[in-house]
Amino acid sequence: MLLIPIPLLSQGTYIDENALQPAQVNTYWNWGDVHTADLHMYQLDGIVDRNLTSEQRAEFFRMEFSKLGLAASTQNYTFTTSKGTISGNNAYAVMSSPRAAGTEAMVISASWLSTAGHGALNVRGISTVLSLAAFLKDYSLWAKDIIFVISDDYLHGMHAWLNAYHGTIPSNLHTDPLEHISGVIWTALNIDYSGHSFSHLGVFHEGLNGRLPNQDLINSFRFISHYTGGLPMTVYDHLEPADLVDRWSEWSVLPSWTPAFIRRSPQLQQYEYRARNVVRHIGYQARGMCSGVHGLFHQFRIDAITIFAVPAKGPHGFHALGKIVESTLRTMNNLLERLHASFFFYILTSPGTFLKIGMFLPSAILVSVAMLFKGLGEWVDAGWVREVSEVSLKGTGSLEKEPKTKDTWRNRRRPMLSVLITMVATHVLGVLVFNLLCSRRFDENRSFFVPAILAAVSMIPPALLPLLPKNTPEVAPSSVLLKSSNLCLASTVISIMSLLNFSLAAMLALTMGVPLATSSRSSSMTTSLLRYAAYCILAWGWLVLLPEEVESAIWNWEVLGVWFAPFVCIVYAPLVMQAGIVCLQGSS
Amino acid sequence: MFPMHFQLLQACLLLLACLTTLVVGTSNSSTSTGEHAANFFGRHDSTSGHTNNWAVLVCASRYWFNYRHMANALGMYRTVKRLGIPDSNIILMLADDVACNTRNKFAGSVYAEAGRRLDLYGENIEVDYRGYEVTVENFIRLLTGRVDPSMPRSKRLLTDDRSNIFVYMTGHGGNEFLKFQDQEEISAFDIADAFEQMWQKKRYNEILFMIDTCQANTMYSQFYSPNILSTGSSEIGENSYSYENDNDIGVSVIDSYTHYVLKFMEGINKTSQTSMQDLFNSYDPVKIHSHPGIGSDLFHRPLDKALITDFFGGVAQAEVFPSQEDACLIGHHESGSTSLPFAPESGAPSLPVVTSPSTLTVEMHVWDSQWKEVRKWFSVFVVGCLVSWVSFVR
Repeated sequence: MLLIPIPLLSQGTYIDENALQPAQVNTYWNWGDVHTADLHMYQLDGIVDRNLTSEQRAEFFRMEFSKLGLAASTQNYTFTTSKGTISGNNAYAVMSSPRAAGTEAMVISASWLSTAGHGALNVRGISTVLSLAAFLKDYSLWAKDIIFVISDDYLHGMHAWLNAYHGTIPSNLHTDPLEHISGVIWTALNIDYSGHSFSHLGVFHEGLNGRLPNQDLINSFRFISHYTGGLPMTVYDHLEPADLVDRWSEWSVLPSWTPAFIRRSPQLQQYEYRARNVVRHIGYQARGMCSGVHGLFHQFRIDAITIFAVPAKGPHGFHALGKIVESTLRTMNNLLERLHASFFFYILTSPGTFLKIGMFLPSAILVSVAMLFKGLGEWVDAGWVREVSEVSLKGTGSLEKEPKTKDTWRNRRRPMLSVLITMVATHVLGVLVFNLLCSRRFDENRSFFVPAILAAVSMIPPALLPLLPKNTPEVAPSSVLLKSSNLCLASTVISIMSLLNFSLAAMLALTMGVPLATSSRSSSMTTSLLRYAAYCILAWGWLVLLPEEVESAIWNWEVLGVWFAPFVCIVYAPLVMQAGIVCLQGSS
Repeated sequence: MFPMHFQLLQACLLLLACLTTLVVGTSNSSTSTGEHAANFFGRHDSTSGHTNNWAVLVCASRYWFNYRHMANALGMYRTVKRLGIPDSNIILMLADDVACNTRNKFAGSVYAEAGRRLDLYGENIEVDYRGYEVTVENFIRLLTGRVDPSMPRSKRLLTDDRSNIFVYMTGHGGNEFLKFQDQEEISAFDIADAFEQMWQKKRYNEILFMIDTCQANTMYSQFYSPNILSTGSSEIGENSYSYENDNDIGVSVIDSYTHYVLKFMEGINKTSQTSMQDLFNSYDPVKIHSHPGIGSDLFHRPLDKALITDFFGGVAQAEVFPSQEDACLIGHHESGSTSLPFAPESGAPSLPVVTSPSTLTVEMHVWDSQWKEVRKWFSVFVVGCLVSWVSFVR
């Protein structure tokens, strides 16, 4: 896994779809349109100053769209979660394609809050969308409808809008059907421009539950950004070492006492830069989080990215952004079918290079296969017992010799029933804990419930252990059987996950690989108890140690449907607990 | 006043006299009207022996991003039409989905160059096979003439054994195949067999096969029928590249090879004596970015005698046949020189377009032409004298 960021493994990105034809058009976005965007920005600044409510804001956006003659409307929505209700208002407008049937659509969106965090408002992003609406309306070459969406808050606004658009309203969302509907949305661009000006355009691409958009979209955007806009694209907001010649040391994780020739080595800088991208990618993907508003689109099979204007002192602003978005829309407009040609499974190590699935998948699969073999080995071992018996050789003249020992291997039964009951019980326990975490009472009495859950989950297995049948020499010890089935199950889980969400599989391989394989009974009670405690912390320790993560994971599950939280509770933690029980069983 | 008038009269009289001598001389020296006809129709110095020209132009791809292929075919269409092949003799197979594509900023127009000076999709375009009709089956049926009786004449290749056919194909292809609309392929063998059937059924006199696609030269590698001259844009293993793209249309507008062929053709008119050899000499692999190929092994005429207009022009070339009495005499003279597979047989009166009068004489006296020269220069001299005399008198 450490090899993933090495530049040699990456290959250059390329455009696979013939129809895209990126960066081959003249753009007509000009200073007049920049002026329109500036005017919108002043109006928005006024809105921020006057502290208008979400509803008033949406109404303002609707009015602005209506003034252009677009079919505009607002959407009010309410999510019900364990922590109360979340509500907001979206504004959107549909620009019908003048010469096409309107069965296909593209989305340009901006959310009220920016990805940059800390409550940064996406005022300039919204201004860009409003002025683009005015600008794009004057062209008759759109083969798809263009939908402009200004979503409330950061994520849930767009989530409500998309669900209403596709008619997949979950039970905890209350919203009215949308007034204006267009065709099937193929691609979407989300604009995030919160700073004053920018030097690079960053691309965020991770979607919910580890989904990624087709790489052609990112590659086309990179082409267009480079050739049409004349400014470089970056992955996330990470600037490349070449762009940070003098400031790289501020970014680098290498301590300052390392010799200068190491810190300045281009290979090492390149490695560190790529490693940073990979870590950020895994951080988003493993938790199933999306790295921006675009990530909500992927579940509806819409390829979307967020264009993030990396805040800087200059030199670019509305002019460059508008040109690039115009050109990108022309490219998206050229599509004849959904993006399908390029890669859906990849890791972008730098803007121009990526790792194919074949290059990174083995790192997780190898661990998984090793666990499978270890588990099967345990299973075979459990079936045989070595008996040492004394054999007296009746040969003449050999009485004074020591009696020889002879090893024999004998079959023994391997009762699986108790093992299976143990495993199912741990998973049921996980389900119970997860339900508790999602309940309203947990949220109200967090300080009470966290230690209580921790105590319960760590105490219940030792308490119930005596109920299991005792080991007898005729049958294989249940701890060995449990370990073998535990390893096999974990290996299967990792293999399956590696195809769905590589980052999560990689994290599972890291956290479960060695601990599960080395779980064993120990002769002394204290050692085994200590080991059990360690496994308990590995399984459930996040309850205490990472409260913010718990909260965000549960919010993601309840509002956005990210299954990271249930996965950890119902699959990951029980698997580690089973390894802990292996230690306990041996000692008892 | 009067002398002036008199002088003018004198001048007129003199001029009249001059003209009279000229006319008398002409009528005296005129060998025959048949000779004239032969001179007139035979001015191309052609050895092809064809009497009608046809063009089959195929754009085998579709979709907006293949704009350039549509422009290729339409560029060829414009050229053959300009050089005189009528629409009735042009079969144009075109997906035809770019001119009115919603993505086309210039609706109803197709341009083949970046400046957008010449709209190839003007008001006078007849697309015979459009959209989904452009299939391998339809193409082969068209060539071999195996069409439904209900098929209109505009969709048929009504050729005979005196037809010169220009077949142009463009699209995406590979080694010995050409893709039709992302759905099916035609192989080099299919086309070769279709041409052989045409030959056996006497459906052509000569064929010029031109193709612009990747690895185009492989497409004519399997031909085995006589009188086919073929040329392609690129060798095996080579791509054919587009020439340029227009930044307002947003896609490539023409392929390199076709661009240079069309550029060469723009310098050709209906009476041009330029030969196929000149066209082939104009190929520049450096500019085209691929190596165009020429397949002339099945073609029996020297390339510098094969005119461009034999294939691209719509020349109504007439054959001049002697009358029955002189047939034997002429047969003597011509039999040695003909190298054509369809050398006119003197006893077949069904074919001739223009029959000559009986006074046709074959011998062309050297003296005749000299007398013509003398007369020409004499009349020039007389006119010159007259003009100088008039000006002096004034």
